[in-house]
Amino acid sequence: MSRIRNLKTLVATTALPLLYLVGVAPDAPAGLTLLQEAHAVVGAPLTPVSVAGVARRTTRRVVVAETSATQAAAASTATTQQQAATAQQQAATAQQQAATAQQQAATAQQQAATAARPAGAPAAGAVVTALPAGCKPVTQNGVEYQNCGGVYYRAAFQGNNLVYVVQ
Amino acid sequence: MKNTPRDRLTAALSRCCVIAALATLSVATQAQSAGLAPEAKQILKASTDFLASQQRFSANTRNTLEIVLKSGQKIEFNSTGRQAVQRPNKLRSERSGDLVEQLFVYDGKSLTLYQPQDKVYAQVAAPGTLEEMLDFARTKYDVVAPFGDLLFKNAYDILMDGVTEGIVVGKAVIEGVVCDHLAFRAPDVDWQIWIQQGAQPLPRRVVITTLDLPNAPQFAVTVTQWNLEPTFDAQTFAFTPQAGVKQIDLLPR
Repeated sequence: MSRIRNLKTLVATTALPLLYLVGVAPDAPAGLTLLQEAHAVVGAPLTPVSVAGVARRTTRRVVVAETSATQAAAASTATTQQQAATAQQQAATAQQQAATAQQQAATAQQQAATAARPAGAPAAGAVVTALPAGCKPVTQNGVEYQNCGGVYYRAAFQGNNLVYVVQ
Repeated sequence: MKNTPRDRLTAALSRCCVIAALATLSVATQAQSAGLAPEAKQILKASTDFLASQQRFSANTRNTLEIVLKSGQKIEFNSTGRQAVQRPNKLRSERSGDLVEQLFVYDGKSLTLYQPQDKVYAQVAAPGTLEEMLDFARTKYDVVAPFGDLLFKNAYDILMDGVTEGIVVGKAVIEGVVCDHLAFRAPDVDWQIWIQQGAQPLPRRVVITTLDLPNAPQFAVTVTQWNLEPTFDAQTFAFTPQAGVKQIDLLPR
């Protein structure tokens, strides 16, 4: 979780203008681009909706934009954090493997998915406000994931916003 | 240019004018930063105390949220909201609009966030009072009730925290109701509130201007209807997911 926050802080401090970008197909019509762009901005509720919200905010919640530029910048700088997190994940995976065979299978599948991650895919733990096109729902251990070209996303609320966390 | 006596006079006069204008401006600025008008505080306090004394109420609202695009262009999004409150520990808040349809329910034990069009909801255990829950939702989950400040019993202290200036702008009419129009300033935020005149000093409109964001976007709420004698039933503050609605996580901040 702290990894996500760090990532967001990083993006917030180094790439503020990029926040307003979101993954848009190159052939997307202008209207769609604007809508998605606007949605991305609203996804990061930069306009506080309470007086205390303005006065008290210490951190500003930011949704990581799904652009290759942002990912490249974020990924390269966040590598150390990711490695630490990966180590944690591996420890957790080991525990899970001890638990049940079913979970082992699931973990293996996830590892396979991670191994087969397409080039230019968003980093695990990245948060996006919209899914790419052509996703298929997959249920594993009662949890629904979206399989988008080999990259798995899981829906969650981040504040008042529905987001998708890259697995 | 020839420096005739007349030219010199003109120059002197224009300097005078500039000085006079600056002096006027300075007076106006001083008047503006005269601090907190006691009457403004008094009207606000009467309103927040009145709302705090209401054990149950509901309100329909119209909200506008400005966002600023990368280009600097401002875009406005509109939504309507329905709020139901039963002190000390029940809240239902629905909003629907351009961007999102959402239901927020607090039953005194847990809070639920439900997004019908995506068929997903999240639910977490919550503290036992409305005030604690609002703080909890904001600090732990970044879930913010639009202008939730007013729901606190000590709303006055929350609103006035850090306020440096406050004035009574004058009378205004909001949704056909005669109101006192107040304007306050605090670091990074200007806000205005319109409070109904008479025996029921209810807030009728609030505008929040965030000063430390590019182009100072605003959030505005207008209460289109107040109901101080609402009818609530067992379902008002309960959430039962329909078939096909999936539970997802609420990410801690």
